Amino acid sequence: MVSRLSVELKEETKEVHRPSKASRLYVTLRKLKKSRLALVGSAITLLAITFALLAPVIAPHNPQQMFYGEEMLPPSSKFLFGTDTGGRDVFSWVIWGARVSLYVGFAAVAIELLIGCSIGMIAGYFGGITDEILMRLTDIVTNFPELLLLVLAVSVFKATSIHIIVLVMGLLGWPFMARVVRSEFLSIRETTFVEAARSMGAGSWRIILRHILPNILSTIIVLVTIDIPSYIFWESALTFLGFGDPLSPSWGVLIDRGTSYLTAAWWITAFPGLALFFTSLGFNLFGDGLRDALDVKTSV
Amino acid sequence: MTLRTYIVRRLLVLVPTLFLITLIIFVLIRLAPGDPVTILIYSSRKQPSPEIIEALKKELGLDQPIPMQYLLWLGKLLRGDLGYSYVSFQPVSEMIAIRIGRTLELMLVAEVVSVGLAVVLGVICAVKHHSLTDAVFSLGALIGYSIPSFWIGLMALLVFSLRLGLLPSFGVQTKGVSFSLFGLWFDHLKHLILPAAVLIIGYIAYLFRLVRSSMLEVLRQDYILTARAKGLKERIVIYKHALRNALLPVVTYEGYSIGFLLGGAAIVETVFSWPGLGKFAVDLALRRDYPPLMALSVVIALMVLLGNLCADIAYAIVDPRIRYD
Repeated sequence: MVSRLSVELKEETKEVHRPSKASRLYVTLRKLKKSRLALVGSAITLLAITFALLAPVIAPHNPQQMFYGEEMLPPSSKFLFGTDTGGRDVFSWVIWGARVSLYVGFAAVAIELLIGCSIGMIAGYFGGITDEILMRLTDIVTNFPELLLLVLAVSVFKATSIHIIVLVMGLLGWPFMARVVRSEFLSIRETTFVEAARSMGAGSWRIILRHILPNILSTIIVLVTIDIPSYIFWESALTFLGFGDPLSPSWGVLIDRGTSYLTAAWWITAFPGLALFFTSLGFNLFGDGLRDALDVKTSV
Repeated sequence: MTLRTYIVRRLLVLVPTLFLITLIIFVLIRLAPGDPVTILIYSSRKQPSPEIIEALKKELGLDQPIPMQYLLWLGKLLRGDLGYSYVSFQPVSEMIAIRIGRTLELMLVAEVVSVGLAVVLGVICAVKHHSLTDAVFSLGALIGYSIPSFWIGLMALLVFSLRLGLLPSFGVQTKGVSFSLFGLWFDHLKHLILPAAVLIIGYIAYLFRLVRSSMLEVLRQDYILTARAKGLKERIVIYKHALRNALLPVVTYEGYSIGFLLGGAAIVETVFSWPGLGKFAVDLALRRDYPPLMALSVVIALMVLLGNLCADIAYAIVDPRIRYD
């Protein structure tokens, strides 16, 4: 959500002449390869995703397993990131935490996409009064104080669930996506190929989904890439403030568990935080590189 | 559309937005477990008689239907009556008044330092585009941007306060020690360093990227080429011609930053036990002390809304190219 502030769309007409799909992919990959930072970013991102998918295989121990007499041990060869107060392996927790944290990022972004894209497409394509109403709604939601509403929404439920956090974040996070999609639709709907499709009898939805949407995929991908870490951030911050779901061990929950033992066992807090930091850095580096490679017109 | 109609329209959006926010806040908190009377009784020692409970309900307006309760609450808010806490029985306006200064202090320090540094560094990096300096600071900004603020806050607390003992770990003032006036001020400054620094990290990273990219875009424009072709000194081209235009998005962003900084302040205040509004809101929500929480939520929402409004209007004024719709 923070990153949404960070990308300000330039409302200028984009050139819509583009090479074919295959060569577009090729050009993108070649440009991405040139940027070393983007490569590092994608490597980190892939690593985090691999951890999330293969957690049971990669984690050396069962994160729930308590090693009696080995509580709060500093990092060693047996326990790479040390053990927590219950004698559990922090490294294994961090790997399993990738699952929860990435779920948070991807699921919240999926909700954002669903709402933001739909509203942006409809407003941009149909224009007129529809556009007016949808954009005023977008204005209203943009103005919502996000953290405050998150805290309120989460605190009213007796038992906090990670799914509710994800849902609320997605419900609050879509306005920027809607604005970007709308403005892209505004410019593309005036192009000749859309006119050609229309003259051949294509219906509105066919034009929206088959002719215009594929042309703005790159913009959407870039936005999604930089939004994922911000959702992961918000969830962890919310957890730290005391409104998380303690039963879903995301990196935020893991960091929070260690805060009372900061002096005695810094590793319980430090390593999940590092995982969070590197994942976020990975997504941001990748998103930055992708934006340059795809030549998406967003400033910052 | 003229500027005036734009501003009027923007103000008109503000009204339903604020209305909707108060409605959401009200509904959310009414949905919350535990009704106010139970909480009130819980905090008193004796079990009161049913008559007292009834009287309490009546006094709090809880015998009215829910929509009526909402209107009553809204009416009180409009009259500036924010109610009182069910836990400490203090008036909410008083509770907010003693804390708002602390938060504003933190935000102001973060704002001044971040803007100052971000502009200087952003300009240097844009002018020396593709240089080593540029690469280092740009990567640094991305790193600053990717660091979870509460985590870096905890780490800073661990290293600088708990391990090295250089800076205090909580509060705004050392208790139980008498200081001279200067000592008092210096002690407060020591308390301020860590929270402010943590708040600054994320904010400056963002601002730096904004200044740099905005400056890069301006430097590419024809009028800069003209200025150089006229034989103007590079210093004048950059600071007089380019920077002024490059700062437009930065100036207007200041308005939007209120929400960002308030959110950041809530986290930083919690890490460092800084007695400001953010920590207050979090504590209220955790204690389920709803009347002050509702009032405070509206106050915070209003601050964010007004900030956004100022930003939109400033943007429309300084950049006539903006399309108002």
